[in-house]
Amino acid sequence: MRDRILAVDTVFRRELATVLRTPGYGVLAVGLLALLGGVVAVGGGAATGFVPAVVDLLPVTEVVVPLVAFVVGYRALLVDADSGELAVIRTYPVGVVGYVAGVMLARSLAFLAVVVVPYAMVGGFVWATAAPDTGIFATHSGVDSPLLYLRFLGLLVPFGAAYLSLATVVSAVASSRRGAVALAVLALVGGVLGGDLAVLRSLATGTSPSAIPGLLALTPNGAFRGLVFEEVVGVAFAPQGGFVDVGRAIGSLLGWTVVGIAVSTVTLAYGDRLEVLLEGVRARLAE
Amino acid sequence: MAILDPYGDRFGRLLVAVAVLAVLAGVATAGAYAADPSTATPAPVAYDDAVELGLSSETDELMAGSARIPRAQVFYSQLQYVVGYNGVESFAASLDDGRTERQFGYPLVVYVETFDGGNPGVTDDGLFEAERSTDWVPADEATYVAESAAHSPAGETVVPFAERTNAELFAAEHGGRLLDWEAVRDRSFDVDSAATARSMAPARWAAADRRIADAEASAGDRHRGNRSTSAGGDALIVVGEDAPTIDAAAAAAPPNATVVVPAGTYEETVDVNESVVIAGDGARIRGDGNGSVITVRAPNVTLSGLSIDGVGNRTRDPEAAEEDGTWDTNIQLGYGHGDAGIRAIDAPGLLVDDVAIETNASGVLLREGSDAVLRDLRVDGSDDWRDGFMGVTGMESRVTVVDSRFEGGRDGVYLHRADGSVIRNSTFVGNRYGTHLMYTGDALIADNAFRNAEFGGITVMTRPSGNAIVGNDVRGSGAGIQASGTRSYVGYNTLADNGLGFSTSARGSLYERNVAVDNEVGAHATTVVPSSRVVANDFVGNEVHAEAGPGALRVWAVGDRGNHWEGASVGLHEPGERAYRPTSPVDAALHREIAAAALRESPAVVLLDRLRGTVPGARSGSVVDPSPAPKPHAPERIAAATDPDSEPVHPDWRRELDHTMNAHDRNATDGTRSRLSNVRTRGLVDVGGRR
Repeated sequence: MRDRILAVDTVFRRELATVLRTPGYGVLAVGLLALLGGVVAVGGGAATGFVPAVVDLLPVTEVVVPLVAFVVGYRALLVDADSGELAVIRTYPVGVVGYVAGVMLARSLAFLAVVVVPYAMVGGFVWATAAPDTGIFATHSGVDSPLLYLRFLGLLVPFGAAYLSLATVVSAVASSRRGAVALAVLALVGGVLGGDLAVLRSLATGTSPSAIPGLLALTPNGAFRGLVFEEVVGVAFAPQGGFVDVGRAIGSLLGWTVVGIAVSTVTLAYGDRLEVLLEGVRARLAE
Repeated sequence: MAILDPYGDRFGRLLVAVAVLAVLAGVATAGAYAADPSTATPAPVAYDDAVELGLSSETDELMAGSARIPRAQVFYSQLQYVVGYNGVESFAASLDDGRTERQFGYPLVVYVETFDGGNPGVTDDGLFEAERSTDWVPADEATYVAESAAHSPAGETVVPFAERTNAELFAAEHGGRLLDWEAVRDRSFDVDSAATARSMAPARWAAADRRIADAEASAGDRHRGNRSTSAGGDALIVVGEDAPTIDAAAAAAPPNATVVVPAGTYEETVDVNESVVIAGDGARIRGDGNGSVITVRAPNVTLSGLSIDGVGNRTRDPEAAEEDGTWDTNIQLGYGHGDAGIRAIDAPGLLVDDVAIETNASGVLLREGSDAVLRDLRVDGSDDWRDGFMGVTGMESRVTVVDSRFEGGRDGVYLHRADGSVIRNSTFVGNRYGTHLMYTGDALIADNAFRNAEFGGITVMTRPSGNAIVGNDVRGSGAGIQASGTRSYVGYNTLADNGLGFSTSARGSLYERNVAVDNEVGAHATTVVPSSRVVANDFVGNEVHAEAGPGALRVWAVGDRGNHWEGASVGLHEPGERAYRPTSPVDAALHREIAAAALRESPAVVLLDRLRGTVPGARSGSVVDPSPAPKPHAPERIAAATDPDSEPVHPDWRRELDHTMNAHDRNATDGTRSRLSNVRTRGLVDVGGRR
């Protein structure tokens, strides 16, 4: 057991070293901060409080967080496999599960630093500057509170984790860097737009509207959006809720994460055999 | 960098620190979910610091004595400002009207002022009175007395008490029954709907017609009566024949006599102390440049067919101001005691008909209940408003001005505590303010034309209640209409080429069917907490269609009916399909630069726009029209307003309002009909419980 943990630790340190030596991630974090700052400044919601700030950030977040997750994760497992280093690593007592866990841990940490830190800084900015337009009258904060922003930050983590996990699947499946980029873009577009389009489609074909809370919860974006409405923005309205099936939404975000890691691990473990299989299919099609 | 070296010695410690941080963040986040922000209970604030809605607290009845309106203060979930309601029932009524909740969120906590130790009672006029209020108490802990003898100026009022026994005492003395907060909330109160706001104007127009007819009849009767009895010779006095001067004739005239003034110039000042008719025919009365020319101190006097000049230059009494007097008292003492062409003191029933006055002070000065009809009056004031004074100064007098013209001077018509006054079909040119109301409610300003008023065409200051400003045409002025107060109706006005078209300063009011064309700013949203309806107005060619001062997002539409904004339909989408935000830089440019339509479709703008209407109470300083009207509501008035040579336009609003109020289709300006029918059927619904 101790050996396994040591192995994960070693892989984790090695991966973290890789991340730290990639200056691009720092640039990414700064860029994200600038983008979020711009949204908040143009949107104007941050001038008055956390809830309107979240309202302004929500649509942008739905695109930006998956994007960053893919940028951080789309080559995580590919590089070592491609360069043959994975084969070398495997000659040490490091299992595939331990390897994937180590890489994922390091990448998750990187993702948190790149995404959550800028969002937290925007929250701090709102906290420091949001004030009513005029001080002539007595004011109060209503339901608006830093706690609601903290809830929002908390929701970013499982949302991002789901996409990061999907990104590692891409990195495990892809056989080249170019292929990984193509797959990542496909998965990104599919995730951000595809899920909701599928829900729309199913509604158009006669699915009962009462199924929406459940269907919405199935895709990472739908689940995230529903949870933000339910737990953050909706608090400002008469307490009623019902924007999404909360249990299913949380389960769905965790599920996507777990499934992603599992698929990555399996692909890495049995990928060679799969490749042979695929090669056979390709050869037959090429004839 | 060493600390970040994954292979370094201290990395383990860093990892532990990160892990601890992560756990802390996790606990904090879990805490954020465990805490319920909707149970926040802020403490009550000083009422003066709240943003006031509901009834006006500045009606004469309230300002005069010890009468009070029980007040409430409400903390809404989305709104940063504490909202004060004059009248607990005003707040209860607002709960029925879904608009408040849509705009401000739900009430987190409500406090009402209670009167347990305030010696509560009822005035002789049936108004609620108390020496003071004792305490602010959460609304659901108070006991309320409803249906008692105590009323507010607007009707029924409920009186809150902290202790049930005190409520019982009050009810035993003044009648009524005890209710708890739930019952008060569920009660329906007769609140002002759009329909009541609309009905004010036609009713007052008719009232003014009656006043004019009465004044004419009274003058005519005397005139005819005098002719028929002129054999007696005492009732018809001809100046130059029966008396040397007009003043002598007026002094000699018995009650109801007629003083006939033949054409010519009379250099004198006249005192009228009897109910007489002074009828000129091309006669000019020239004062000595000191004091007023004609002074009336008797009821039912008629002055007609006169020209007046030689008025003194004293615009007000500089010594009048009392050191300890309020501003209001000082204004009355000062403004009410200047020189004027015609000065009336305690002279009800005055009719001034076909009179022209040249003056550098006031034209007509009315005070102390000089309810007057001024018809076909022409006042020529100073070229620079700083040198002159008001065309008409009315204080504590109900004034009816029709078919008159006011040129130059300070204000065309200045009214101070002149409730129920009517100013219509008149022309104002080159004043400071055309019509200026202070502490004056229930007035009608209709079908007037204002040109080149330096500060503004129509201005209503202080916080009066129930004014109607309808069918006026204001151009080339500092501002078109700036009316503060509550429960006002501002409709069918045409405002062109002004600095500002109109402001929405009046609370709980209805602004509809106004046309703002080619102004620097079409409309300005002023009140911090929006409470008015702004619907079916047309905004065309303004540099800025609308701007907003501090406060929550203003939603300018009623149901699915909005305003027409030139430029809102520019672009490829279906006209009226997209919300229009006159205060957003992109939308504001749409009517001047077509490329703004392309910018508007950028994903960045779309992303930001999409959800912006949510939590309107927590937004600041902007205006949104969720359903802009694709076509103008009054194209013919817009065309007339864009033509600099056009005559003043006055739409037939009396017919249209009549039609709207009787209409049974829901397209008639808004969902008022359904609201009205709600009120009617609510009694039935209540029997079967709340819907």
